[in-house]
Amino acid sequence: MLLWFLPIFLLLIMIGLPVIFALLASPIALIMLEGDQRNVVAGLYRNLYNGMDSFPLMALPFFMLAGEVMNRGGITLRLVEFSQAFMGHLRGGLAHVNILASILFAGLSGSAVADTSALGSTLIPAMEKNGYTRKFAAAITAASSVIGPIIPPSGIMIIYAYVMGESVAALFLAGIVPGILVGVGLMVMVRLMADRYDLPKAERIVRKDQTITPLESAVSFVLIRINIAGVLYAVSGLVTWIFPMEVNGWLIFALTLPIAHVIAQATKARVSNDFRLVCKKAVAPLQTPIIILGGILIGVFTPTEASAVAVAYALIISFFVLRSMNGRDLIDVLTRSALSTSAVLLLVGAAVSFKTVVSLSYAPQILSDYILSLSDNPLVLLFLINILLFIVGMFLDAGPAIIILGPILGPIFVDLGVHPVHFAIIMSVNLTVGLATPPMGLVLFVASSVSGEKVETISRAILPFLAVEVVVIFLITYVPAISMTVPYLAGFLGCGPEAGFSACISPSP
Amino acid sequence: MQILLAAAGLLHWVNSRILALGRWIGIIALAIMVGLILGQVFFRYALNDAPNWTEEGARFGMLWMTGLVAPLAYRMGGFVAIDMLEAALPKLLAGLLGILLLGISLWVLLIAWDRGLNNHVDTLSGRGCSSSLRWPFGIEIGKCGAKFQNNYQYSALWVGVILLILVNIELIIRQVITLLGQGDRLPAINNNALAGAD
Repeated sequence: MLLWFLPIFLLLIMIGLPVIFALLASPIALIMLEGDQRNVVAGLYRNLYNGMDSFPLMALPFFMLAGEVMNRGGITLRLVEFSQAFMGHLRGGLAHVNILASILFAGLSGSAVADTSALGSTLIPAMEKNGYTRKFAAAITAASSVIGPIIPPSGIMIIYAYVMGESVAALFLAGIVPGILVGVGLMVMVRLMADRYDLPKAERIVRKDQTITPLESAVSFVLIRINIAGVLYAVSGLVTWIFPMEVNGWLIFALTLPIAHVIAQATKARVSNDFRLVCKKAVAPLQTPIIILGGILIGVFTPTEASAVAVAYALIISFFVLRSMNGRDLIDVLTRSALSTSAVLLLVGAAVSFKTVVSLSYAPQILSDYILSLSDNPLVLLFLINILLFIVGMFLDAGPAIIILGPILGPIFVDLGVHPVHFAIIMSVNLTVGLATPPMGLVLFVASSVSGEKVETISRAILPFLAVEVVVIFLITYVPAISMTVPYLAGFLGCGPEAGFSACISPSP
Repeated sequence: MQILLAAAGLLHWVNSRILALGRWIGIIALAIMVGLILGQVFFRYALNDAPNWTEEGARFGMLWMTGLVAPLAYRMGGFVAIDMLEAALPKLLAGLLGILLLGISLWVLLIAWDRGLNNHVDTLSGRGCSSSLRWPFGIEIGKCGAKFQNNYQYSALWVGVILLILVNIELIIRQVITLLGQGDRLPAINNNALAGAD
């Protein structure tokens, strides 16, 4: 009888019950109908609590807070100007700028809604002024914003990792290439449309005679050299890997610093002053993803600690370097983050409770038998599951959809030989694209409110971009190496060196 | 109708104040959480001696932030739901469906209230003592003495459930009044400042 919780749950969410209550109501109703002799409902309550009482989950409010602080600190304009300096001169320049800014913004916020709202309010009016239609501007903003939760840090990946017991770091690393691939795919589509619709070019530098404060200039000066030195240090690791020898790491880093300075000075001489200042002003904000990923990769921080460090960095930059925030703004961003994350944390707790019932009811086994009866070919099943996820994504936001479907579908596909991290990425990317699909795509509504264009109009204009994203979904589904190479190389897939690349990313069923 | 409006006004007054206080405690808790985790990193790398209570302290803050701020998010309409059916139905049916949904939510919350109190907060485990969290300045309270009692932490969700019940009752009364055509006489609920993990 407990198996009925799933249809009842679906019915409840379809009639509009908040997902949190639907996750609890359907199992509680059935358990109580059966008499609840062993007080299983009390166990569900305890799991609701235990689901929220988690250290790794704390990364969620912190990453949201860091993104909010950075967004409030006036970095959006800096990222847009930086992107424009590189891509504005191309055909369809501002559309390319929109996509590149989304990729860069993704490294700071991890939220498609924040991306659409922040970039849309800046770029949609600018694109209209440059000769684009409003529906096109809103559509490309919404389509590119889905890169936000794919490239780390990512709220939905933290949720997935926690609910499914996966490594947050592995998921973060696995999201990098698919996120960039979505961006590149969208740029290709914009380039094709640029010829057909005669999309205009734009100026590379919007505001001439750029200025920068001495403090920001000094901070950027140091950060640029440290980052170049870091890259050189990583390359030196390749040399010592080929020619094994014992060298002190700090000594190598100290040696790379003057080389980094020479490289930076040489580059400086080759570009205009405005271009240089635009790039320099983007350095401090763009350091955030480097701190997060660098800290996790080197093993200095756990993802939760990295998220707290990102908050501290964002606050220091916004308050002392950019001087773009005050105490009132801080209270506002703390309120927004607390509000958003408390609802999500309660939802995650309910999902952990729900997961208990999923395992008690043998639903995965029964569903597994049903799915395997459709076909025994994993490639066909992956195709079907992508269709299912895409349809679910049309109606439900990515976070709740992952919470509901992860515990049910994850074990089935892992048994079929799909690596858990690979399946997590398939689910995350597919459901994230769902944020931009009609009729219930969240970012479509945000793009509509930012642009003043109707949701229906944006929904039609976004179709070519959605087609690109669907192609990317199938690419990452059928070519696991796209998403799995980075976490494999970083050693986050839990395979020993004897396992080999192919066996590690596509384990036997 | 006057009774309903008075009840809605009273609950609006009570909830607005309690939730405003909860919001302040929540944002202070969030700030403390960040401070504790940064302190953990600092103590580990700068002093080579990470304290064992920072992580549990931060989780304590996160639980209370969730318990106190989630009801505010619920009141602002921040709990994810598919509202397509409600939007597609005629006004009367949509109103009735809204009351049904709020009724189901209230039923879940009342069960959570009961189980939370009797099977979580007020249990042997709830009355037990925290492994690492201690009162500062040598303060000793109750049978756990210098240590925190577990139900200080467990209460976070239970208090959250109580606040959610209060909000739910307010929303039900508001829905009934709206259904009776007097919605314009209700005080407005501020509902900006919400995003989500997406």
